[in-house]
Amino acid sequence: MGVGLPEFVENPENRCPVVLLLDTSGSMAGEPIKALNQGLTVFQSAVREDEQASLRVEVAIVAFGPVRLVQDFVTIDEFVPPQLDASGLTPMGEAINYALDLLESRKETYRVSGIQYYRPWIFLITDGAPNLNSPWQQAAQRVKDSESNRKLSFFAVGVQGADLETLRQITPLERPPMMLHGLDFKSMFVWLSDSMRRVSSSTVGGEMVALPPVGWGQITT
Amino acid sequence: MVWRAIVRSSVGTSHKKRQMPCQDYGQYIIATDDIIVGAVADGAGSAKYSDIGAELAVKTCLLNLGEWLESQKHLSPLSEQQAATVFAWTLETVVTALKQQAANSGYPLNELACTLIVFIAAPDWVAAMQVGDGFLVAGSQIHEYQLLFQPTKGEFINETTFVTAPSALEEMQVCVRPGHQAFICASTDGLERVAIRMDDWLPFARFFQPLQDYMWTTSSPEQEDEYIRNFLDSERLNARTDDDKTILLCVYGQ
Repeated sequence: MGVGLPEFVENPENRCPVVLLLDTSGSMAGEPIKALNQGLTVFQSAVREDEQASLRVEVAIVAFGPVRLVQDFVTIDEFVPPQLDASGLTPMGEAINYALDLLESRKETYRVSGIQYYRPWIFLITDGAPNLNSPWQQAAQRVKDSESNRKLSFFAVGVQGADLETLRQITPLERPPMMLHGLDFKSMFVWLSDSMRRVSSSTVGGEMVALPPVGWGQITT
Repeated sequence: MVWRAIVRSSVGTSHKKRQMPCQDYGQYIIATDDIIVGAVADGAGSAKYSDIGAELAVKTCLLNLGEWLESQKHLSPLSEQQAATVFAWTLETVVTALKQQAANSGYPLNELACTLIVFIAAPDWVAAMQVGDGFLVAGSQIHEYQLLFQPTKGEFINETTFVTAPSALEEMQVCVRPGHQAFICASTDGLERVAIRMDDWLPFARFFQPLQDYMWTTSSPEQEDEYIRNFLDSERLNARTDDDKTILLCVYGQ
């Protein structure tokens, strides 16, 4: 018949952004920060097991105590886990604001480049309470507004010593903070990678992505 | 001159893996006065019976539009407003049929959620509607293609509008294109990423050209469907999309 085959247009891969918002204040020094660093490596290798996810899941790391962008958004195939040090205080409100702004600007980049994306996640891990002068209440309001407008999903994980009462005021009602079992960051990051793999492969209509069961922590009331 | 058309669906690799049925459906009818009516629907991945919903939506459209066309003695080109009225009515009949199905089977309407694209094409005009994603491409000249609607997507890639949504009528897009349509292609979103350039929503000509050539060189595409079936099931395509795929092609010619 002599008819050729349809050729395919090259569109950029869809992206699935996640901001890891990590408390690296002085109290995380020693075993906690070590376990957290190992967890990041576990996250990287677990997502990489899934080729499509490693091209779609984009991670950014914001550490606080003081707030700094340790890793700007990068797809997991190019992500090199950092070695975080712990020192300083807990500017949690500033860090949350920073993460929200970072996400907004990332979305703008996606829009300009015609990249389609999944609902972003912000994943906060802390073992403390915000500094007294930290604008965490204002940041919490921004989180709540974004959540109710379904702009993002916000998760908070407390490590031993965390001020869960404050975290409860930041997180949306339907997703209360989790308390990590000991320093089991490894299981938590395996769960996160599994969740990201599910989200990043979901198609239209799969709005309610069923997340894997949480075996690494518990909801505290 | 006659309309020649073919429609085929193929289950996505991700659906196969999870032993889900093909949730796409497409069909067409050729009515009097050289008018073709086509529809494709993509059942929501999260809805339990969306395969039933997609099929029922398409069949309901074609049945009702077919009867309506028969009742028209001679159909002159629809104005945008007439098209909006006809398609609003079509959508209403679809939603009524889906509600009936849901009520009879004892599950919520949402379990039948699907997108919907419908077109009515005469030799010298086409009217169309779209709720949700997927695409409808028409070519008025040789190897020149136009996307009739930008798919309705939410902010996020995995969100769209379904005919079962309260806002479906409000979000329904309608258009009328005058002029001869040499080629029409309707498809569900499974082929979107390989056929449409996302940053400016332009149809990718080298995707559509071979399909158009195939339609031109095939006198009875429904019988000679190997080319389309092979394409939809090709590894090359499945490497790029794991979703269900439906393609409805028509040409008007000798």
